[in-house]
Amino acid sequence: MNGMGKPKPIKALMVDGLWDNNPIFQQVLGICSTLAVTNLVLNTVVMCAGLVFTLSLSALSVSILRSLTPRNVRMMVETLIIAFYVIIVDIMLKAYWPAMSDNLGPYVGLIITNCIVMGRCEACANSNPPLKAMVDGCFNALGYSFILLIIAVFREVMGMGTFLGLDVPYFSTHWDKWIIMVMPPGAFFMLAVVIWVMRSIQMGREAKQKNSAAGGKQEKSQ
Amino acid sequence: MRRQRWFATVYMFVVMMAFSSVVIGLARYTDERVEANQALAFERAVVRVLPGVYEEGLSGLEIHRRFVEQVDEPTEATAGAYSHKSNGVVQTYALPFEGQGFWATIKGIIGIKADRETVTAISFYEQNETPGLGARITEPEFRDQFEGKVLAADGKTLTFRRPGETLTPSQVHAVTGATQTSVRLEKIVNDAVAQWREQLSGESRP
Repeated sequence: MNGMGKPKPIKALMVDGLWDNNPIFQQVLGICSTLAVTNLVLNTVVMCAGLVFTLSLSALSVSILRSLTPRNVRMMVETLIIAFYVIIVDIMLKAYWPAMSDNLGPYVGLIITNCIVMGRCEACANSNPPLKAMVDGCFNALGYSFILLIIAVFREVMGMGTFLGLDVPYFSTHWDKWIIMVMPPGAFFMLAVVIWVMRSIQMGREAKQKNSAAGGKQEKSQ
Repeated sequence: MRRQRWFATVYMFVVMMAFSSVVIGLARYTDERVEANQALAFERAVVRVLPGVYEEGLSGLEIHRRFVEQVDEPTEATAGAYSHKSNGVVQTYALPFEGQGFWATIKGIIGIKADRETVTAISFYEQNETPGLGARITEPEFRDQFEGKVLAADGKTLTFRRPGETLTPSQVHAVTGATQTSVRLEKIVNDAVAQWREQLSGESRP
């Protein structure tokens, strides 16, 4: 979706963000926060909500201003807009959810440097109307979020025996906790496994589609 | 339409002013609330280490009320520690400490009984350690170990040992997987206690 080819319908943008062009397992973007905040599910949920908010509204704002923004300062403007929404998330957490703000520490501020946000602003919002830009941003953030949540659930349950801070039967009592899962190396292992599984599913789907397309052609030629 | 060269500068300036104004407005609007949250976090940390003053599930308002009514401000006689008195006699000291953690400053309170040896509890009101690792110093599993510990007379007053090791009354277990945070916290706590003791012995000298 770079504005060069045929414009994609909104439904295709949604599927792109969630699966076909998923920022984590297809593009391998935003890995820093994927590794950093996924050792607790609650932290991950809040981080993802922050990213959905920031990416959706940044894309919308960039798209609204796109015809006015001079090319030579567009990246400065995009960074400013992204920082604006990130600071809003940070202020709201500090004011209304200080405990979570403490838990996430510097990671909320680091959304500014998340490659997915700038990437979508550059690749889509800069060359598409506001609604499409916002949907693209929102579904890319949701695509990022669902992968993070899968990683976080496995890491917290296997590493601490808890889910959202609550004891999980068997894992909190009999399971020999894999401390490495809540440590940074555990994030790398989990990320690699998730990318492997997701890409295998994707390759299976593509092979199936090819086979059915080839079957269709053969039927026609007969 | 060909734009003038100055357009980009003026445009950038206007956009910056517009977005900054909203951020400044929001920051001002929430300023009091953020400050109140920070003050309450400190008061909660102080009250938490004072047996008989703190109970689980207290509201923010109740914490503030108990802090104002039952906690005495630091004086020269307490060498910078907050105190809880009963009939004019100090029952517990709440000694603030702070120092560089793994990522940022760790600020907390250690409660010490009037005998100046027995620890009542430890609590934290500011830290930015790794979520799920170093940040677990704020969880009850780590904090609860401090209750009843005895500050050693000399050397390290409290020692952090590897998880699973047998402990003496002056030792606690470090946080698993957070060696740097544990090492730094051990130093911060020990430095604060040593300095406090030194000041107290100076005060008590004729």
